[in-house]
Amino acid sequence: MSAGIVVAQVGDIDDGEGIQVVASVLGTVDNVAVFHDDGEYFALDDTCTHETASLAEGWVEDGCVECPLHAAKFCLGDGKVQSMPATVDVFAHQVVVDGDDIRVVPNPERLAS
Amino acid sequence: MTINQLPSTLEGAPPEHLECGDICRPQELARNVDVSGLVDRKNGLVDRAIFTDRALYEQELARVFATSWLFLGHVEHLKKTGDFFTTFMGEDPVIVTKDKQGRIRAFLNSCRHRGARVLRADYGAARAFTCTYHGWAFDLEGKLISVPNEDGYANADWDREKWGLVEVAQLETVFGLIFATWNPEAVPLDEQLGDMKYYMEAFLGRDPDGTTVVGGITKWVLKGNWKLAAEQFGTDWYHVNMSHASALMVMSPTGKGPKSDIANTPGRQYSDERGNGTGFPTHPKSRFDAQPVHEYYDYDELRERLGKAAVEGPLTTGHATVFPNFSYLPVNGSIRVWHPKGTEEMEIWSWTVLDKGMPEEVREAQRLYNLRTFGPSGIFEQDDGENWSEIQAISHGWRTNTVPLNYQMGMGTEREDGVYPGETSELYSDAAGRRFYSRWAELMNTPAWHEKEAEQ
Repeated sequence: MSAGIVVAQVGDIDDGEGIQVVASVLGTVDNVAVFHDDGEYFALDDTCTHETASLAEGWVEDGCVECPLHAAKFCLGDGKVQSMPATVDVFAHQVVVDGDDIRVVPNPERLAS
Repeated sequence: MTINQLPSTLEGAPPEHLECGDICRPQELARNVDVSGLVDRKNGLVDRAIFTDRALYEQELARVFATSWLFLGHVEHLKKTGDFFTTFMGEDPVIVTKDKQGRIRAFLNSCRHRGARVLRADYGAARAFTCTYHGWAFDLEGKLISVPNEDGYANADWDREKWGLVEVAQLETVFGLIFATWNPEAVPLDEQLGDMKYYMEAFLGRDPDGTTVVGGITKWVLKGNWKLAAEQFGTDWYHVNMSHASALMVMSPTGKGPKSDIANTPGRQYSDERGNGTGFPTHPKSRFDAQPVHEYYDYDELRERLGKAAVEGPLTTGHATVFPNFSYLPVNGSIRVWHPKGTEEMEIWSWTVLDKGMPEEVREAQRLYNLRTFGPSGIFEQDDGENWSEIQAISHGWRTNTVPLNYQMGMGTEREDGVYPGETSELYSDAAGRRFYSRWAELMNTPAWHEKEAEQ
């Protein structure tokens, strides 16, 4: 039994795109955005730390996601903020690709109590 | 039926009332001049002040451009949700995009907050339009979806719903061309074009599957009032043999110019009371198209589908203006808009239209042919631009400006000839010019819908 919860199958998320996984699926406090960047998958809290916007709708480029509204940038790997106007990191979650399954292991700090 | 009224016209209603508070623009800021004495249709005369006067220009923006159907672009530029391009309606910057329902929408490209453009790119794809000044963000339906520090408006009468992008009042497409107007009272595009559609179809309906465009828009700036160009494309075959003498010689098979019966070709010029005009030779051998394009067409099939008169007239060489500032040349696939930039300058935005069915080598031949003849450095375009700039450059002289110009050719010859729809005159005629300026004057002297609203 692998860790995490299956959120998608390989092929569901186009390269350079993201999907939004609602919080209730993972039991997290925020929705989670799962991204496909050149064969690799990443998961971050979905809501930008600057204003309310879904990072899953953002632009994936050079290992970062750019917020679709105000162009704040976050590292896909660790969620660290890379560009103003955001100043606070987003939380990252672990992603495991298991055969065709894409699983997200929720960050324990972000589990709803 | 070739006109498609898009859902956005009905469902994407513009804000009924913009938030105006106690803002009420004083009448003195909207001065209007009676132009009856500047356009003399009966005698075929025009006063040169219409090309030089700043007050008339501002009245033109408010009464001609604001009330008319204006060309925005080609549907092929908007394939997917979020695809957009930017252009102008008069001097107003607009975003044209495809929303999540697949509807074409056009919005004023000016943030409702401090007025900056919310989109700076020429074309591309977006998920939202975010003003680069303070970050107000709008979705593809123009709705305001994000306001940084929104809590700061707590004490104002704040309703985010009221601060969306301003949308055009009507938007329609015809033959793959997108037109829109700010005027909620404008007659449908179908009615505005009327018989003009027959002539447009001879160009844009050559392929039953429709047209596409060469990627990108060629844009250049030219000294000259926009009307000089719009008028010429509507009414002026007269200049061809003189202004384009050298180009015609280069293009002719002998290098010495076209044969006499082609240079002095018969033809017809259509014009209507709505300001539209188009002229075309009816000589079966009058053609200046690229050889691969000519060979591509099955003229017998075209005769059968569009009629002999269309094939031997407006389908080939010709010129046209859809009032006020959209023009085209069927033989080159050139479509263009004359954006007004003050009294003295225009910006020419030009596309090359291709039939969808054209194979690659024919597309390339048409693209190169249009660039060579009517691109910014095209051998014909250069001649035209030189004329317009020359006229504009001297037109502020007092004696120059006060001598009326002549539009008397073909006076009274417009008639229904039983062959071509609507009224046509001889090819060499100022009939469409007289009607262009007559329509211009009519609009200039008619209070626009927004003025009637302001009075209430």
